[in-house]
Amino acid sequence: MLDFKQSYFTLFGLPEEFEIDFSKLGAAFRKLQAKYHPDRFVNGDEQERRLALQVTGFINEANETLKSSRLRARYLLTLNGVDFDDEIDTTHDGAFLMHQMEIREALEEVANAQDPLARIDDIGQEISGEADALKDDFVEKMEQGKLECAKDAVLKMKFFERLCQESKSLTEKLEDDLF
Amino acid sequence: MALLQISEPGMSTAPHEHRLAAGIDLGTTNSLVATIRSGSAETLKDGQGNALLPSVVRYLENGETLVGLEARASELEDIHNTISSAKRLLGRGIQDIKTLGGKLPYNFVESQSSVPQIKTVAGNQTAIEVSSEILKALKQRAEDSLGGDLTGVVITVPAYFDDAQRQATKDAARLADLNVFRLLNEPTAAAVAYGLDQKDELKERIIAVYDLGGGTFDISILKLNKGVFEVMATGGDSALGGDDFDHAIAEWMLHTAVKEGFLSSDNDTFDHAITRQAMREARRVKEALSDNDAVKVSIADWSGSISRADFEGLVAPLVKKTLLACRRALRDADLSKEQVHDVVMVGGSTRMPVVREEVGKFFDKPPLVNIDPDKVVAIGAALQADVLAGNKPDEEMLLLDVIPLSLGLETYGGLVEKVIARNTTIPITRAQEFTTFKDNQTAMTVHILQGERETVEENRSLAKFALKGIPPMVAGAARIKVTFQVDADGLLNVLAEEETTGAKSSVEVKPSYGLTDNEIEGMIRDSMDNAQADMEARKLREQIVEADRTLEALDAAMTVDADSMLNQEEVKTLMLAREQLQQIKDSSEDADEVKAAIKNMEKVAEFYVARRMDDNVKTAMAGHSVDEFKK
Repeated sequence: MLDFKQSYFTLFGLPEEFEIDFSKLGAAFRKLQAKYHPDRFVNGDEQERRLALQVTGFINEANETLKSSRLRARYLLTLNGVDFDDEIDTTHDGAFLMHQMEIREALEEVANAQDPLARIDDIGQEISGEADALKDDFVEKMEQGKLECAKDAVLKMKFFERLCQESKSLTEKLEDDLF
Repeated sequence: MALLQISEPGMSTAPHEHRLAAGIDLGTTNSLVATIRSGSAETLKDGQGNALLPSVVRYLENGETLVGLEARASELEDIHNTISSAKRLLGRGIQDIKTLGGKLPYNFVESQSSVPQIKTVAGNQTAIEVSSEILKALKQRAEDSLGGDLTGVVITVPAYFDDAQRQATKDAARLADLNVFRLLNEPTAAAVAYGLDQKDELKERIIAVYDLGGGTFDISILKLNKGVFEVMATGGDSALGGDDFDHAIAEWMLHTAVKEGFLSSDNDTFDHAITRQAMREARRVKEALSDNDAVKVSIADWSGSISRADFEGLVAPLVKKTLLACRRALRDADLSKEQVHDVVMVGGSTRMPVVREEVGKFFDKPPLVNIDPDKVVAIGAALQADVLAGNKPDEEMLLLDVIPLSLGLETYGGLVEKVIARNTTIPITRAQEFTTFKDNQTAMTVHILQGERETVEENRSLAKFALKGIPPMVAGAARIKVTFQVDADGLLNVLAEEETTGAKSSVEVKPSYGLTDNEIEGMIRDSMDNAQADMEARKLREQIVEADRTLEALDAAMTVDADSMLNQEEVKTLMLAREQLQQIKDSSEDADEVKAAIKNMEKVAEFYVARRMDDNVKTAMAGHSVDEFKK
């Protein structure tokens, strides 16, 4: 069957790196699913069906992890022996937190802008630009072997993930009001 | 049956027995069953030629049930015992019913079980039991027309159905004694029916499924990649459907009649009789406007005319509402309208030209409409059932689904922590660790919720259980691992264990609004008691079908080669046995007797079968070398 101990990268035949080939990931994912999905075992016995469930659960979890840049970065750290709980652990970079608050305030002010949609598009661009810079920072720190700094970058990514969600739902609300 | 296994030279022999399987669309208003026969999908009809079975069940005093048209016909005269919206109640708790309840004419009983029960003359019934009656009727229809037991079925559910609703659907199937291969999302089934999974000229296809039924609207965005379906997003409005279009027309008629002085109203309200009449007229007008540019209308003493343009003006806000939901779903999926390759229309209400036009305009491409929108979901389910039954071993089709709503746990302060985010591909297993917050805490409540909101009250409570036997430790030292496992049908199992000491205690969870296994078994027992006579009748019916098959096979064989293979005496022997079987089949009421007659017929025909088989092999082998057959 399938080795549950292998790394997610090995599972999909990918090199253990932050930058990955998504089309390769997708193709490997579908190939594995086609082989192990519970639908292939509806006429099988109880044990085969349970195993299929576990194996595809593992494949899906691996896929979800590698698809997201933050989770992929975190997973790379885990593979390098840095394990942490990002629900509890957080960044202590004061300037960064200050900047987060500024962006948040800017989002709250959007509704009062002359052209709210144009304003939110601007903020959205700024957010994704900074999120990209954070990814570059992570890759650089990993290459330099500065794992604690790389971890800080991952913790910061979470802030940007939330900001992205917020700006997205705000855009949605603005557009719905106009439609 | 030996006679059937003979294939004519040149015809391929089936590598294995064809397993009977069916797809079931268990709908809010109507239900259908479909299957694959000689390679093509078709919906199965009742004796009167109707494919649609109204999802209505009437309970009679003697414990019998009427399902479908008959039940619907008597809905008004026996409203408390005729249940027509079971799907809306599936997987719902007492609290939900109180919100929905105001609109439903049923008498709900307070009960020990967490599953709401409706009081009828035939005892208390849950939505699961009502749905199982509908499933039984469809199963019966399928087995009657296919002449055998179904090995399994695929049942469709709305893509947004939560865990409790999916579980309830499966429980209903279990009560109906159906083996469920898989619950399939309705939009995915519709896309399969159009064979969109077979088109691979594109690397990736985005499909929008627009489903406007009688009382509900659903929009789903699917991604298809080399035969793998993923549900990207779902949305809709559970209180918007074709009925609202009727309402809009009815209201316009009533108000015009008042304005022109033909009708008086009391503060814009009308009595029931006139409202009902207006609704009936509205439905007629709506349907007529699909084929005509203008239609005459009348209500009370008023009469007038409505053009298609008038109608489109009236219903424009409704259509716009559906398009708004389409926009939301696209955004959820992170896609733009231009990225959508196909738009599939589902539901009877998509027959309205205005709906087709507006949807076409919105997506900037003509929607797919050539499969009957009422049947398209059942047909897709039948195709999938055929694959899962193993009838198409080379078929690559694999349908991947995502979980429609996030799953999480209650944490401190009545907040919800998400463990599995919505749109995660299933099956999935994910664990989360928790700890105690008091010294020597030995128990902990695990509360599982489903939904997107922040607080417990705003989400749906799926289950709550206590994890006991945590060894006494200082606060924060215990490590409690809660594991969520969601299977391919979207059904959840939760396990909780304390890890530090190795002392494990785990609990399997059933949704709060589901039935316990005991309850289900009780129901199965009850229905078995009532069904003893049914079973006898059923066994007989099966044997009669079998007898018919045997007779047909014999006749077919004899037409082909009786002259060349049999002498007069042999023909006479066969015809005698045939006559016997025919007679017993027509008159007997005992399944075993019919069965024995079939056996006898087969025995008599054995020599003929053997002779035909030899001949077949000879013909088939002519011109081939023996080695070719050794594989």
